[in-house]
Amino acid sequence: MIINVKNLSRAFKGSGGVVLALDSISLSLQEGKTLAVVGESGSGKTTAARLILGLDKPSAGSINVLGQEITSFSPSQMRPLRREIQVVQQDPFSQLNRRHTVRRIIEGPMLAFKVGDKKSREQRVIELIEAVGLQREHLSRKPHELSGGQCQRVAIARALALDPKILILDEAVSALDVSVRAQVLNLLKKLQKDRGLTYLFITHDLGVAHYMADEIVVMFRGRIVERGTREEVFEAPRHHYTAGLLASVPVADFSTEKTDFGVLQDVIVQASPIKTDACAYRSRCSVGKDEKDCADKALTETMGSASHGWICHFPIER
Amino acid sequence: MSKVIDVRNLTLTVPTSKGRAPVIENLSFAIEQGEKLGLVGESGSGKSLTAYSLMRLIKEPVRIESGELFINGVDVMKLSESEFRKYRGSEIAMIYQDPMSALNPIMKIGDQIVESILLHKKISRKEALKLAVGLLESVGIPEPEERVNSYPFEMSGGMLQRVVIAIALSGEPKVLIADEATTALDVTTQERVLTLLNRLAEERNLSVLLITHDLGVAAQFSDRINVMYGGRLVEQGRTKEVFTAPQHPYTRALLDSRCDYTVDVNKPIKSIAGQPPRPDNRPTGCVFAPRCEHAIGACSDTVPELRNVIGREVACIRIDELKSVSS
Amino acid sequence: MGLCLLCPWIAPYDPYEIGASDAFLGPSKANWMGTDDLGRDLLSRILYGGRITILVAIAATIIALVIGTAWGLAAGVRRGWLDEVLMRTADATMAIPQILFGLVCISAVGASVISLPIVVGVLLAPTTARMARSAVVTELSSQYVVAAQASGFTRTRLIWSEVMPNIAPQLLVQLSINAAAAVMLEATLSFIGLGIQPPNASWGTLMLQGYAKIWNTYWFVTFPALAVTITILAFNAYGERIRKNLDSRKSTVNE
Repeated sequence: MIINVKNLSRAFKGSGGVVLALDSISLSLQEGKTLAVVGESGSGKTTAARLILGLDKPSAGSINVLGQEITSFSPSQMRPLRREIQVVQQDPFSQLNRRHTVRRIIEGPMLAFKVGDKKSREQRVIELIEAVGLQREHLSRKPHELSGGQCQRVAIARALALDPKILILDEAVSALDVSVRAQVLNLLKKLQKDRGLTYLFITHDLGVAHYMADEIVVMFRGRIVERGTREEVFEAPRHHYTAGLLASVPVADFSTEKTDFGVLQDVIVQASPIKTDACAYRSRCSVGKDEKDCADKALTETMGSASHGWICHFPIER
Repeated sequence: MSKVIDVRNLTLTVPTSKGRAPVIENLSFAIEQGEKLGLVGESGSGKSLTAYSLMRLIKEPVRIESGELFINGVDVMKLSESEFRKYRGSEIAMIYQDPMSALNPIMKIGDQIVESILLHKKISRKEALKLAVGLLESVGIPEPEERVNSYPFEMSGGMLQRVVIAIALSGEPKVLIADEATTALDVTTQERVLTLLNRLAEERNLSVLLITHDLGVAAQFSDRINVMYGGRLVEQGRTKEVFTAPQHPYTRALLDSRCDYTVDVNKPIKSIAGQPPRPDNRPTGCVFAPRCEHAIGACSDTVPELRNVIGREVACIRIDELKSVSS
Repeated sequence: MGLCLLCPWIAPYDPYEIGASDAFLGPSKANWMGTDDLGRDLLSRILYGGRITILVAIAATIIALVIGTAWGLAAGVRRGWLDEVLMRTADATMAIPQILFGLVCISAVGASVISLPIVVGVLLAPTTARMARSAVVTELSSQYVVAAQASGFTRTRLIWSEVMPNIAPQLLVQLSINAAAAVMLEATLSFIGLGIQPPNASWGTLMLQGYAKIWNTYWFVTFPALAVTITILAFNAYGERIRKNLDSRKSTVNE
C-alpha cells in the first residue's frame, strides 16, 4: 500500500458551528493503480487531497504515505517526501505561474530541490516536454500563449519533474474540451504504464472515473458512502447516492437504454453541517426519508466482498 | 410552427496580428417556436459568441461584420440600441454558467426578481412580488413565500440557477438561451435543472437554445442539434439521428472522443489530433481539414457549404463517399 | 521631468548669481520666466528647484515602496495576529491628516534634504502596504502557489520567485501614484517653510518666496506651481499607462 488513510477527519469552524468537511474516512492506494475519488461539491474530496499532499493538517486520523506518517510532520519534515507525491490541479491556466515561461515552470520543482546543474536540468525539461506530447518551441512560451490542453500537459510535465511515485489529479481534466480531455486521459494512462505511477484521481465526472479507475470511492458530505472496484460500483451499486449519480449522468449514447438505477428524488436540499452519526443522505434518498433507522441509527460499513463496501441501512438489493 | 429565431449569414470578426479574422463565419440557422435546439462545440467554435449575438451584446473588439437576425420576423440587426432593448427580456432572455455572479449578492432574491418584472410590466410592487413568488414556485423552489427574502449566499448553486431562470422568465420571453447553464452544477443538480427547463419549455411553448460542450447534456435535452467548429456550422439535424449516425467527420470524431461509462476502458480514447484553430491562423477551405482523417487536397481549396443529406445539413465535400463509412 | 534632471546643463544662468539683472523683471527675452527678488533668473531656479523636488519625490517613493511592501507582505503572508497588528497600524496612520503628521515629524527632526524624503516616504508607506497585502493575499490563494508548495518550494523562495513577479505590475502603478503624491507633499511642506530651506530651493520653496509678492510679480509663484501640476499629471499618466498595459495583458479574447 503506497498511501494508507485511516479515519481521517477535518473539521472547520463555520458560522453555523463546526463543519466536518471529512468525517472519518479511510482509503488506500495500491502501487501502480488508480483510485478514483468521486464526489460532487461539498463531498470533501478536495479537502482530502490537500491533507494527503500535506498542505493541511487533519483534525483526527492518520495518513501514511510511502511508509511515513505525515500527520504530525512539520513543513521541513514533509519536504523530502514532496519529491514523491505531486499534484495536477483543475484550472490549466491558473496552476501555472503566468509570469514564467514553460521552461521555468517545468524546471520549478528541480530548482526548489536544487537538483543537478543548468545543463542537466535543461535536458530533463526537454525530455519531459516531449514526454507529454509538446515540442521544444513551447518551452519559451508563456501560459497565456498556450491552449487549455497544452497548459495541462505542461502541468503534468512539471508534476513529473522529480520523478514522483504518486500523482494526485484534482479534477485535472474537468476544465478541458471533450476532444482535448481524451488526449490528456490517453497521455495519463500511457505515463502510468511507462513509469509505474500511482494515481489518486479526483473527479465529479463518472465517465472519466470509469475510464481511469481500478478502484473507486464515492464520497458524499465528507463520508465515503460506497467503495469498490470499477465493476462493482458501476454495475452493481448498493448505495442509493451512487445509483442516483449514475442515473443522472447524461449519456450521448442512444444505442443502449440507460439502465434504470432507481428513482431520483427531486428534493432541494440545503447544505448544512452534519451533526449526527446517522445517514447524511437520508433527506434525498427515496428509501431513507421515510425510514426511522436512517434518521437515528449510526452507520457502519458493510462489506459485500473484499473490496466492495457501503454504508447504508437499506442498500439496494442485488 | 413559425420560426421564432432566424439567423442568416452571421459573421463576426476580431482583430488579430494579421488584420481582422472571423470567429463566426456565415452562420445560418433557425429555431422554431417551442423547439429545444442544442448548440454543441468546443473552445473556439463560436458557440458562446452566437448567443451574445442573438442578444446583441457584442462589443468591440468583437464586431458583427454582416448577417441578419430575425426575431419573430423582424430583422433586429437593423434596429437601434434603444429599440432592441425592448426585446431583451421580453422576447429573448439568457442565462449563464455562474449563477453566483449573475445575481446581486447584496440584494434579496425576491427584490431581484421584482426588479426584472417591473422592467417589463407596469404594475405595482406588491403585485410584482406576488408574481415573483409564483415564479419561484414554478421553478421548483420550496416555500417560495419565505425564499423571496433570502440572499444569494444562503442558497446552493442549483437553487440559484433556478432563481436565475425565474428572473429570465419574468419578462415572458419567447426564447431562452442557456449558455453552459448547467456546466458549473453537480451532475444530480444538473439533471434537475434540465428537467425543469424541459417542463417550462413545454408548459410555455418556450424555445430553448442550449449551448453546451457536454454531448450527453445535448443528447438528453435537445430536439435538434447544431454542431459548430471553428466558427462554422458543420452539421445540424435531429439530435437522435445526429448522435446515432453522425455524418460530418468532426461530429464523428467528437463523439468518438467522449469519455462516458460506455467507453471501452482497455483502449485509448480515439482523440482528435491537433487543436482547434485560432482566429489568427484559420485554415483555408474547410476549417476542420487539417485535423480530419478523411481530408483530401480539395478540402483546403473551398469552404464546404451546408448540403442536405439524409434529412440533415452537413458541411463536407466528401459526404457522399463517407456515408458508407460506419460510425 | 527628465528635463529637470538635466538642468545643470541647460540652465542659462547660474541661479545663485545675485544681481545679474535688475530685480523683479517680468518674463522677457533674456529671462524667460522673469527674475526673482534678488535678480536671479527664475527659469534656472525652477529647473534647479525641480531637480530637488523630483529627487526628493523619487527618494520618498522608493522609501515608501520598500517599507510599504515589506509591511504589506509581512501581514499578508503571516496572517494571524501579525496581520491584524500591522494593518490596524496602517489604518491608524492613514487616519491622521498627512500634512499634520508631516509637520510634526519635520519639526521633530528638522527639515533637510535627507529628512524630507524619509518623512514623506513614511507618510506614503501605509497605502502601499495595504495594496501589497491585498495583492499578496490574492496571489497566495492561486493554484500555481499550491503547485509550487507541492513542488517543495520553501516559503521565502515561493514569495520571491513565484509571487513577486505577479505583484510587480501593481507595485509599479502604486509607485507612480506615490510619486505624484510625494511631489505634492514636498511642495506643500516647503511652501509652509518646513521643507527645503533657502538658498536651496524646491518648487515649494519658490512658491513660498513668490507668494508674498503675488500681486506684483505673478510669475514668481505661477511658474513653480505650474511645474508642480504638470509633474503630478505626468506621473499619473504614466501610472495609467502601466495599468492599461497590465489589464490588456491579462485579458484574452473569450468565447
